[in-house]
Amino acid sequence: MDWRPIFLTLRLALVVCVILLVIGLPIASWLSFTRWRWKFCVESIVALPLVLPPTVLGFYVLVAMGSQSPFGRWYQSFTGHGLPFAFGGLVIASVIYSLPFAVQPMIAAFYQVDRSLINASSILGASRLRTFLRIVLPLSTGGVVTGIVLAFAHTLGEFGVVLMVGGNIPGVTQTVSIAIYDNVQELNYAAANRMALLLIAFSFVTLSITYALNRRAWAVPLYQ
Amino acid sequence: METQKSSAGDVSLSIDIRKRLSESFSLDAAFEAPPGFTMLLGPSGAGKTTLLNCVSGLLRPDTGRIKLGAEVFFDSAAKIAVSIRARHLGYLFQTLALFPHLTVKQNVEYGIAKLPPELRHTRMMTLLESFRVAHLLGRKPNEISGGERQRVALARSLVTNPAALLLDEPMVALDSFTRTKILEDLRAWNAANRIPVLYVTHSPEEAFAVGERVVVLDSGRVLDQGSPQDVLVKPRHEKVAQLVGFENVFDAIVRSTAESQGTMRCQLNSSGVELETPLTSAEVGARVRIAIRAGDVIVAPQRPQGLSARNVFEGRLVALSQEGATVVLKIQAGVIFEVHITLGACKELGLASGQPIWLVIKTYSCSLLEPA
Amino acid sequence: MKLTLARINSGPAKTFHAFVLLLILILPAATQAGAREITVAAAADLTFAFHDISDRFQRQTGDTVELSFGSSGNFFSQIRNGAPYDMFFSADVQYPRKLEAAGLTEPGTIYEYAAGRIVVWVPDASKLDLHRGLAVLADSAVHRIAIANPQHAPYGRAAVAALRHEQLYERVRDKLVMGEDISQTAQFVQSGNADAGIVAVSLALAPAMKAKGRFIEIPAVDYPPIIQAAVILKSSREKELAHRFLNFLKQPDTLEVMRKYGFALPKEAAGSERGRD
Repeated sequence: MDWRPIFLTLRLALVVCVILLVIGLPIASWLSFTRWRWKFCVESIVALPLVLPPTVLGFYVLVAMGSQSPFGRWYQSFTGHGLPFAFGGLVIASVIYSLPFAVQPMIAAFYQVDRSLINASSILGASRLRTFLRIVLPLSTGGVVTGIVLAFAHTLGEFGVVLMVGGNIPGVTQTVSIAIYDNVQELNYAAANRMALLLIAFSFVTLSITYALNRRAWAVPLYQ
Repeated sequence: METQKSSAGDVSLSIDIRKRLSESFSLDAAFEAPPGFTMLLGPSGAGKTTLLNCVSGLLRPDTGRIKLGAEVFFDSAAKIAVSIRARHLGYLFQTLALFPHLTVKQNVEYGIAKLPPELRHTRMMTLLESFRVAHLLGRKPNEISGGERQRVALARSLVTNPAALLLDEPMVALDSFTRTKILEDLRAWNAANRIPVLYVTHSPEEAFAVGERVVVLDSGRVLDQGSPQDVLVKPRHEKVAQLVGFENVFDAIVRSTAESQGTMRCQLNSSGVELETPLTSAEVGARVRIAIRAGDVIVAPQRPQGLSARNVFEGRLVALSQEGATVVLKIQAGVIFEVHITLGACKELGLASGQPIWLVIKTYSCSLLEPA
Repeated sequence: MKLTLARINSGPAKTFHAFVLLLILILPAATQAGAREITVAAAADLTFAFHDISDRFQRQTGDTVELSFGSSGNFFSQIRNGAPYDMFFSADVQYPRKLEAAGLTEPGTIYEYAAGRIVVWVPDASKLDLHRGLAVLADSAVHRIAIANPQHAPYGRAAVAALRHEQLYERVRDKLVMGEDISQTAQFVQSGNADAGIVAVSLALAPAMKAKGRFIEIPAVDYPPIIQAAVILKSSREKELAHRFLNFLKQPDTLEVMRKYGFALPKEAAGSERGRD
């Protein structure tokens, strides 16, 4: 079996998850705690990838970072190659595509943290950052991890966006889902089956571990 | 840093704010809270928690000023609003808000994390010991009892050496024994650290037992403030009287005054009953309201002789019921009086409904209420 | 401010570290030293033939040919948008010529490497009598006919041309199911999702298809010859290797493989079709 699509996909999913952790936490935290009257605009933008067809998203991402776009040209001059049809392009597209899957569970988790704990922390002199790191985050670990795991699983299974933005270049942008599709095209059902089973097994194991930990290790001991 | 504040630096909390919360409710309160316990008394919905939230910075008043000594926390005219963190207050929520994922030690250390480790440890242990919970360092909040949680929460608020302490009905869920002990410890602490303590309660007994000062709040307004004696024993406002439990409130008209004696006589509306009450500035013919506690009225089966009490008159016992260890008597004497006596007294006197009965009321048991 | 991430709980911290470890492990592994590779965009009808040929090339030279199969039209768009292929094997001549006109190719490298043919293919279980040729597609027993999308697949265009030539197009157009490329078309009909299909002979002759059904060639007069051309792209960084592969294709052994898959060599095709075009 050709392991390259699998490694490529895993690498893509991991990189995307790390990025989503870094940018998702601030976005989610801002969205759950701000009282700005226009916050619904930001919420809608974040949720957009949920309702957009992958081809629409892929198309716009391609336009936004293609060789004709300012961003694309800057990237090209900086690194020497373009973003479409390259791993970098896949990462950007996947981050956008999986953003709501990461952010929404995080927001839900932050919301259910008892407001009085946050107030108590402020009154005891903690800065907003300290309150977030010491109180909010530990009490919503389950939600944060769920968000990241969902984003991970979602990235693993991406097809339309990846195909549009990455082409189908083996070893560079050919992810597992595309490889499976290719194998089916070439009537190589056995290989398609092998990869698909591997993907399912991996996703299942990851999700099971996450949900199990959610129940035990990360459960918050409440009182009263 | 010493744990003892010098009395020369005593500062008072000065509050004068207005805040509209909804169509039907707004807060408009002004009072001073000197070092020591100031009880904020009022029924549910009076605005007590709102007031505490304004003082702490969790809520921003619409207009007004909040000062602690010379330090201004909030001034709408000067557009000053100090952040919650910078006010350096202690605030104990009704729910305690102990961090459930941290141990007692971590909870208490939370506010003093910036101090060097030894100082941090010393301060924390001193406080925990004075509240008798030092042995619970490694436990989580869900592993200790309600009373212990209260103490830990108190220790957490006090470890930062706050400039003032806000307590929101802190003893509500505790039995009286635990309550008393915790209060003792808190008082001892306050004796050594003279800061204003704003203590919210809805219980007049607690206000009386704990407070050096009482501020009565109802529907967002300060009804009265002063010593517990002044405010609670001799209420001047009807609402306060109701709050504090004056069961008998009558309309009356001033019939005569005796300035040299400091008393006046008032006729209870449309009845033959006249009571001698303390003198007020009301003139003859003016309408007044008189409040008398049911527990302040003495009864006798026959006309008693030689008593100092100035109001002795006859009535008929029309209803008799028992509430716990108290017997509630309803006596018709032109107006209906509610009287509370002990079970033992009732048995000894052999009271029965329908029998004639004599009422004895001291002049000083009559509180003249200010017109509403 | 001390980062308290590690002190929060051992659970999340451990998982975080595991993630980082995994990340490092998965990071791009070093490529083999020495051996070079080119990436080739190839029309879908070359799927089986080129797997074969690229294997031989690797065995002979030690260099790798990475193959991507799809419709010629798609590749054309991608290459126009900067897709990093080294060579493009189209199923027609137009797309390479357009690329040359756009300045995206190495000048003078357009090479007509083969001529393709279309056949009617039905699964084994089908009761259709293929000796009737294309006309069998108009049968009421045939509900769905798979062809490649004529918008961007040259084999699709050929299929439509053949149907029109035999006056069948209007009668069967409602039954047409479009595959993204000729490969997907074959998959449609091989899986039974379509009752019959017009596919490339190179796919019909592949072992995977051959065992599963039968086919009949569509007469060459029905459609313009499918002349397939290849070109080396200007953006390629392995032009030398690309040239070598192109030359490999002209070798007699390789030509034999192409013939095995039903491809006519352009000179032969041109010979029989002179006068058309």
